[in-house]
Amino acid sequence: MSPQLTLQTPLELPPSEVPGYLEQLWSRDQPNNVGAHTFCLLIWQPAWVEQQLVRTGRLDGPITGVQRSQLIAAGRQSVVDGDLPISTPPLTEAVATCLGQMDGGHTSEDLRGQHVDAALSNLRPRRLITLAPSLDSEQPLETLVAAYCPLPEEGGGTVACGDVVVLRGGKPALQEGLAILDPLLPEELPAWVWWNGALDEAPELLQQLASSPRRLILDSALGEPGFCLNLLASRIEAGQAVNDLNWLRLGSWHQTLAMVFDPPHRRDALGHVVQLDIDVEGDHPVQGLLLGSWIADRLGWELQHTQRNPDQSISANFKRTDGADVQMRVSPVPMGQPSIHPGQIVGLRLICKPDNQPPICVILCAESGGCMRLEAGGMASMELIEEVVPVQHSPVEADVSRQLEGGHDSTNPLLAAAAPLAAKLIS
Amino acid sequence: MTNPLRVGLRQERVIAPQCLVIFGASGDLTHRKLVPALFELFRQRRLPSEFALLGCARRPWSDEEFRQKMAEAMETSVNENRAAWEQFSAGMFYEPVDLQQPEDLVKLGHRLDEIDRTRATRSNRTFYLSVSPKFYGSGCRSLADAGLLKDPQRSRVVIEKPFGRDYGSAQNLNRVVQSCGQENQIFRIDHYLGKETVQNIMVLRFANTIFEPIWNRNYISSVQITAAETVGVEERAGYYETSGALRDMVQNHLTQMLAITAMETPGRFDPEAIRSEKAKVLQAARLADENEPWNCCIRGQYGPGGTQDSPLPGYRQEHGVDANSTTETYVAMKLFIDNWRWQGVPFYVRTGKRLPKRLSEVVLTFREAPVHLFDAAGGGPTANQLVLRIQPDEGAEFRFEVKSPGSGMRSRPVEMEFSYDESFGEPSDEGYVRLLADAMLGDPTLFTRSDEVEAAWRLYTPLLELIEDSPWQLPIHPYESRTWGPAASDALLARDGLLWRRP
Repeated sequence: MSPQLTLQTPLELPPSEVPGYLEQLWSRDQPNNVGAHTFCLLIWQPAWVEQQLVRTGRLDGPITGVQRSQLIAAGRQSVVDGDLPISTPPLTEAVATCLGQMDGGHTSEDLRGQHVDAALSNLRPRRLITLAPSLDSEQPLETLVAAYCPLPEEGGGTVACGDVVVLRGGKPALQEGLAILDPLLPEELPAWVWWNGALDEAPELLQQLASSPRRLILDSALGEPGFCLNLLASRIEAGQAVNDLNWLRLGSWHQTLAMVFDPPHRRDALGHVVQLDIDVEGDHPVQGLLLGSWIADRLGWELQHTQRNPDQSISANFKRTDGADVQMRVSPVPMGQPSIHPGQIVGLRLICKPDNQPPICVILCAESGGCMRLEAGGMASMELIEEVVPVQHSPVEADVSRQLEGGHDSTNPLLAAAAPLAAKLIS
Repeated sequence: MTNPLRVGLRQERVIAPQCLVIFGASGDLTHRKLVPALFELFRQRRLPSEFALLGCARRPWSDEEFRQKMAEAMETSVNENRAAWEQFSAGMFYEPVDLQQPEDLVKLGHRLDEIDRTRATRSNRTFYLSVSPKFYGSGCRSLADAGLLKDPQRSRVVIEKPFGRDYGSAQNLNRVVQSCGQENQIFRIDHYLGKETVQNIMVLRFANTIFEPIWNRNYISSVQITAAETVGVEERAGYYETSGALRDMVQNHLTQMLAITAMETPGRFDPEAIRSEKAKVLQAARLADENEPWNCCIRGQYGPGGTQDSPLPGYRQEHGVDANSTTETYVAMKLFIDNWRWQGVPFYVRTGKRLPKRLSEVVLTFREAPVHLFDAAGGGPTANQLVLRIQPDEGAEFRFEVKSPGSGMRSRPVEMEFSYDESFGEPSDEGYVRLLADAMLGDPTLFTRSDEVEAAWRLYTPLLELIEDSPWQLPIHPYESRTWGPAASDALLARDGLLWRRP
């Protein structure tokens, strides 16, 4: 679905007048204006790579914050042009930093927050507030407001049913604008904060925006891995509802591994796992650690020891419930055409040695690549079970929409159990 | 041992925030099936936090009384999951509503607005009519008049079976219901379609290349569809006396199994494409002898049976049943489908109460090999059979001939089995869990469309008219409880040189 623009040209107002203006817009004495009683979504939308690509003339504007194909292609090209490691995902901080050192003065219209993806607009949010930091940290605060509604042919009525608010400017200016946020997020509606950037790029701001009971949507693939996992674990421990898009993308790995052990005759082998190897793209191990932690938690393993190896892999020793040892290793592997999401899993190997039965070796392999590394290593005497795991290609906006659509006010219990363990593994 | 990696793992579509309104909330179905199904969805985290259940009936209960009644009815499950129940029941409310009273509907509208505000249910509403069938039409009309169905994207109505009593009444009801909302807002429930194994018939046929090329008259000689129950009429005599097996089982559940077994391949996996194919095949179906239906339909009624130690009463001795009742508790019939795929292939359908086993299955019998090269253990080679077991012991088996060990070339039949239990090891969700979730998701694939319902009623119109006008032409054959129905039913197949499969 193509993104939708707001129905009216956004009105630029001084920040202090925004709450009053919106209150008037939805006031009860204007009976035709009935706001959707749904939810509010606050988005941190830096789009650093997109801004840099536009500035350096490598991408045509406008700047929208939406992950379009031209943006991804330009990002990939920049990895090559910038002489970055070929495994660098195209929309990461490394690419933005590299682009930032290049010349360019191109400008373009900035439609962040006004360009609403249909996956989100179909949910009829009552209020979308976008914080759009500019490359120029000196840029003053601009505040835009517009009424917004899905088009009638998509099931919307003719009256405005929501509004968008955009706060745009340099980071210091945005910090000033935060004062208007609280009155814009009515308590009676669920409020979500989607941090669509690296988790470590503005920790204090993240702390300010995503206070409980607001529900947090983040991507633990973005940012320094240790920071990402610690943040995830601490937020969950504090009782906040955390939705991790990186965890969501693990769905097909969870399903495929569970499927292997669905037949009852294989289940006993789960109590006899001796080795778990997970390969991830590039040098971001978070997704691999989350998957490994999920397996460890489900099978009741107890962590004994963890260490980072010279080859950047992370290895850990666990004790099974019967006291036997399990070795786990999460290893980075270089990829020629990496996913846009850092650290996606490319393969998993699970070796079980049940008593009085031949050992079992389960190899799961992402459909995007091969698993030759995991297939090597003397498994000829084992029962080999191999499965290909489908790669999820849904745009990030669709993933966010899934979280918003079936909203929960608590963290998925599986993630809540896996994240603290994953944080320990990397510490 | 459950699969520890499967626990908490669901690859389900997401149900949007909403309020489910059950009319008839004081009734049996609500506490026996609907609320347990919703609680199960809640425990599986398939309900959003912004979810509310509003029970409506005429009794003047409070929210707390409603919660209490449901908790009492589901005692075991509630006690095992006390914390989850507390959370779930906090979203349960009750509003006394008489669907015939417009002022009650106004009150209901206000209550729903309040729930939208307090539970952020986003004006998404699913209305479940678990009321007497005679109120289906007027119930929909009341909802429409109160403006509660005006947004086709956000409001839906679920209607329980039976949808009409015959072709004419089904048409009338469809007219009323469709005047209240769009077809895509109407969800006519048939809980057989919620069964994993019924849905699996579609997957088996359309996800594998080996079946579809032989799924036709060139290779299949006959099809048997059986739904057997061991129970008698139990507490449902009042309803059953007015419906009988034909209306209670054949017109809906068995006909849906027939449609899914015989339908053409839909162009895509899309609710309307699937429902169109089902409607088309039902429109092409007919009784084997429409002019003299007694030649292709057998009605039966269970008599006393059982053992000396545990005798079973006959139908006419059951509580609430007329001592001279001519209601059928067993039906067997032969149908044809007049299309290119099935022309000339008989479909035998049977259902009955108080039969020896509880089971539902579809049996496809393939044509015999044209030339018998080998001696067979049973005289002649046995025809290949594909048995799709709907319940219990869900799965499928394929019977084919192999060489008997030893010298010589004698063949004997063996079976290749697939069992849900062995492959997946997890019990499937109860049908209502799936169907309630689908209704709240707005996915009508497993619900019957108006043209399907009408085609199903039209198919049995000659029988219904005959039963109405000259019932002596379609007599009731008594059969002993816990036997496989009347001898006349066996004779129906014997005329074609066939036997019912004895499971």
